[in-house]
Amino acid sequence: MDWSATEPSILSAEQHVESSECVDARNKTDGEKAENHTVNISFCGSTPLLWRAADIRKCREEVGVIGTLVGSLARQPRQNVRLGRPLEILQEEARLLVETGKATAVRHKELSETEESRLKAAELYQARLEQSYEEQCALALENKKAVLQRVISEKQNDKKGNEGAEQAVRERLESVEKSFSFPRSAVAVQLCTARAGFSHCPEEHAFLAADWPMPRDKRSETRFRVYKDLRRKGFYLTAAGKFGGDYLVYPGDPLRFHAHFIALCLPMDEKLPLSDVLAIARLGSNVKKTVLLCSPQDTSESGEEIEEVVYSSLQWSGIV
Amino acid sequence: MAANDIQPEPVQIDFSNELLSSPELFQRRSQSHKIPVRGQKEFLPNDSVQQMACLQKTLDEHWMLVTEERVERVGNLVNADWIPEEKLVKLQSPAGKFWQTMGFSDQGKQCLFPEEALYLMESGNVQVFYQDLPLSIQEGYESFLSDETVTLLQYQVFGHLKRLGYVVNRFDTRLPSLYKQQLNLHLSSNRPSKQPKRKWSQSPSFRPCNKKSTASPEESAGQHEGEIKTSVPYSSVEDPGQLQTQQAFQDEILKSDPELDSAPGRNWWTNISSQPQPDSFQTSVRYWDFSCIFFPDLGSLSGNCACLPPPDPSLLPGALQVPECHMAHWHRNINLKEEYRSKQKQQREQHRQRCNINDDQGVRRCRNWVEYLELVKKRRSQQHNKRLTYLREQEVMPLSQPGKCSSHRELLEQVNIIQSYDLLVANSRLPSSDQWRINFNVYQPDTEFKKSYPGKPYTRLCVCSFDGPVPNLHVLKQLSFQSGDVSVTFAVVDHGDISFYCFKEFKLPTDVY
Repeated sequence: MDWSATEPSILSAEQHVESSECVDARNKTDGEKAENHTVNISFCGSTPLLWRAADIRKCREEVGVIGTLVGSLARQPRQNVRLGRPLEILQEEARLLVETGKATAVRHKELSETEESRLKAAELYQARLEQSYEEQCALALENKKAVLQRVISEKQNDKKGNEGAEQAVRERLESVEKSFSFPRSAVAVQLCTARAGFSHCPEEHAFLAADWPMPRDKRSETRFRVYKDLRRKGFYLTAAGKFGGDYLVYPGDPLRFHAHFIALCLPMDEKLPLSDVLAIARLGSNVKKTVLLCSPQDTSESGEEIEEVVYSSLQWSGIV
Repeated sequence: MAANDIQPEPVQIDFSNELLSSPELFQRRSQSHKIPVRGQKEFLPNDSVQQMACLQKTLDEHWMLVTEERVERVGNLVNADWIPEEKLVKLQSPAGKFWQTMGFSDQGKQCLFPEEALYLMESGNVQVFYQDLPLSIQEGYESFLSDETVTLLQYQVFGHLKRLGYVVNRFDTRLPSLYKQQLNLHLSSNRPSKQPKRKWSQSPSFRPCNKKSTASPEESAGQHEGEIKTSVPYSSVEDPGQLQTQQAFQDEILKSDPELDSAPGRNWWTNISSQPQPDSFQTSVRYWDFSCIFFPDLGSLSGNCACLPPPDPSLLPGALQVPECHMAHWHRNINLKEEYRSKQKQQREQHRQRCNINDDQGVRRCRNWVEYLELVKKRRSQQHNKRLTYLREQEVMPLSQPGKCSSHRELLEQVNIIQSYDLLVANSRLPSSDQWRINFNVYQPDTEFKKSYPGKPYTRLCVCSFDGPVPNLHVLKQLSFQSGDVSVTFAVVDHGDISFYCFKEFKLPTDVY
């Protein structure tokens, strides 16, 4: 397919015309834009990752998928307090996104590209770079002129009659047009986070359900049903490995609220040693969270199968 | 499933939305690097306007940070090429400051491991090209990270520590540098004392089987240190020559054993002033029979040995004549000054002198040491039998017996049924598991790190997942054995959230000694 070769050229043409509109388009409220784009979940090994900022935002706002940012933050890469893209999401989150039709799981496929299309792509990239250089060069010149202009107007406002100085600046402003040079090393380039259009584009395929990288067993089914139920009830969930549970349950967006519960997914028919229950209840009270034992249950009501989750927690009775 | 046969539809991806235009790129050159501070979290959402506004502000900041793209000046970037066949990234332009802690040279080319390159891409230092086109970070993740190089889990830990400033290297047992490093390490410490121990521990078949249970802490520590050296690659080959000599030595002792019993020993006490008995030497023509070798008691206070008998002529070369040796002359040269003894010792000495062992008829009947030792053993057990018959008759026996211990420590050791298990005591027979291995060496940020001589790591890392199993004792032992004298830390990754754990040996306090 020669899409990979043709698409970038269209892109760069559009870029040329719409470069100023581009910003507005992105800042537009997601409304219509979010409606028509599906989220792409890409996999690294068996880990589902979201790469594009718009995807991440859509997932959080529409489906309540929180996930964890795992990459270095573009703005300040050498710290761990705030991280950046990609967003790693739970298997359950990925499954929910796919099942609700909001997202497709895509697989990056290496295409045996022809030498020709490869060269063409490289050429296009070089052309883009060159164009970007010229544009930035012009911008830098504008910038310099604006600075000098400002200096002149400041001097004029001074009215102290420093004619000589003002004249000198004026001369510099005139000469700057001719003498201005913008070194190539000063060109700013973007280090793309998500797969970029101008790179040779390997085909991406939607996953088949059978190809899902994580096998679905009883445990993952239990977890998914609990996840779905809690999410439906309006809670936000994140992973709770550090707390010895399956999910941390937040009453609101985790950015602003503390978690209230530690959810532990447990099939109805599974036996749990008392010591385990006590251990996790102790841990819960230590971190001031309630431990929820969540067990999915099927109840049939008037012939209809209804999926339910039973929640129980342990409380010290207070009798000594 | 019917869909199985259908080739999945290629997904059209809108790539354009994250590419920056030139004016944006230009603007980004002068950008703030501040990270907005997140305020205190709240307990419950209450739909108040204030709370909503606060949430919106935090979210706005969040999206601003997440959306931001990396923009760097070309002059600040190092260009590199991804070589998928070698799973390496080779630099096109000279490396920057990161070269102090990362990368290696291969045939004059500066190379980076995929994880290093990816980290440097993320921190905006390196731009990696493949087929003349730059790779996005997403492509970096997808092409660099695999089971053959470094997995996503391992990379997450690597990146986490790198961002904190630690120096992180791959741990590879096959690297000769590690071997060299360990050799150097031991050269500077007390190497000579450990050398023989190592050889000894390499032939476990000669170790008495009860040694393990009775070994004192010092001994086991020594063994451990010796054993570490066996974990050094290349040196773990056993020395066959040495084994043979040991074997021969053992055989000799075994052969001499039957003679030991049949040897007509000599009586020390009756022979001192009498004629030598040549036959006692003739029996041990081939081997030394230590039970028959005669040592004169020169220091004897009794002074009744005025002269030594001449040696057996059969042991002397040629026609050499050795007369009787008069002792009086030698006695004068012996240091006869009374040694200082503690009161206790003195009493014991006096007691021993009072009941001279030579007055004992039973002892006198013994012809050699073996017989004497047997006699002592017999007497001791008789004594015990007399004293402890009531204990011996029972089915359950005491762990310790009166008079057997001289200190609290000894007693505690005897009544200790379950021996404490030292994590580091070597057991090289443990099979190694493939699932668990050490992934990284970690060095502290503040130290002067040299790639050519990395020195001793701060810790070694084993990366695992919260979904996976907990390492068992076997694994712990094997990994700590592999790591030598450096601690092993487990980096457990839970969906991007990393916690570090380590298993510490806990010695129960024993304060009674």
